[in-house]
Amino acid sequence: MTTPPPKRRRNLARKWHRWLGLVAAFPILWLAISGVMLNHAQPLGLNDRMVTSGWVLRHYNQLPEGKPAAFRVGDRLVTEWGGELFLDQKPLLLQGDLVAAAAFKGQLVIATPEKIAIFDGSDEMLLELDDLSLPATPLQAIQVINDRLHLVAADQSYVLSDDFFSTEKTTQAVSLAELEELLPDEEKLLAASIRTRRGMPLSRVILDAHSGSLFGWPGWVITDLSAIGLVILTLLGMRLFPRRKA
Amino acid sequence: MIAFLLCGGSAFAGPRVYQKPSEFIQSNLGAIPATQAITLTSAQQKQVRAILGHNYRTKAIRYWTSKGKTAFILEEVGKNEYITTGIVVKNNKIEAVKVLVYRESHGWEVGRPAFTKQFKGAALETNSHLSKNPRNIAGATLSVRALTKLARLALFLERQK
Repeated sequence: MTTPPPKRRRNLARKWHRWLGLVAAFPILWLAISGVMLNHAQPLGLNDRMVTSGWVLRHYNQLPEGKPAAFRVGDRLVTEWGGELFLDQKPLLLQGDLVAAAAFKGQLVIATPEKIAIFDGSDEMLLELDDLSLPATPLQAIQVINDRLHLVAADQSYVLSDDFFSTEKTTQAVSLAELEELLPDEEKLLAASIRTRRGMPLSRVILDAHSGSLFGWPGWVITDLSAIGLVILTLLGMRLFPRRKA
Repeated sequence: MIAFLLCGGSAFAGPRVYQKPSEFIQSNLGAIPATQAITLTSAQQKQVRAILGHNYRTKAIRYWTSKGKTAFILEEVGKNEYITTGIVVKNNKIEAVKVLVYRESHGWEVGRPAFTKQFKGAALETNSHLSKNPRNIAGATLSVRALTKLARLALFLERQK
């Protein structure tokens, strides 16, 4: 194989540099600008600004998977959707499969296999009980019988004290509750609420667009190719840098 | 490179469970004592807000006491996710801090004993700040702040029992 003469090599490098520069210009500009923005996210307030665009949020799979199911407690709706829990349309800090929900002395008690959460009249979580305070887990049922809260855990029934911190074994039968499907309107309302409530911080969206992961594997490929293109452009630029001989 | 990124992404996904809360209580108090709780009054809520910058996730905060030691299992958001932390207080001073569950993608270095042992012996000053603050960790600033707030909260709660 013969080596092309210096002038021809130089022209070839210039040609590659020009066209590669043109193709990679926009992705590289984006990488540079977004990189600077991310480095100054705090002063630019990017952590506080929320993106609520449906198009962007769709990339984050904000809606849980599966079908929502719920317990009705008086006029309240406690819904489980893909392991996430909602009180009416409000997301709860509690997560997991919904075992049961019951009204107890002006409070709302919600049970998952691992936890019981007690909410007061203002929907604030008053208390969260886990295996440190429960007689056993996983929980299978809760029910208010004769104004006392009963639960079933590991096939044994217990009755809880009014402060929830002590339990006694009981032979009282506790019935297992069955979740019911949401009405179509209720499901639409909940979905709309999740979409609008869960904005993503702008800094996170820029970071994901910077790394390309916002657009899935094509984004990663474009980002990687841009980075490789930048390396090649640098090398070609260095190749073109020496002055021509007079 | 894509394969590397894919592997790296999945390796750091999901919470890091360092120790179960029940194991933390057992190892520090010898057994799991009966659960007690402080139900925050509105005045106490105000002081908690001054420490955390917001209300604690529950109005009643549980604790376990044995042999003069009090153990708290507290949670605070680092950047986006809750960090579950076990804190033991004795004589109004921090005796032990341990990150039990770390759910953030960045900043897990706060779970290292080299970091958490800096809290040992810290007390609450009159301005409700710690008598000694831990060194910051680059890239884990928010997690460091979260743990510092929880240490202050535990010392505050100890005085409210």
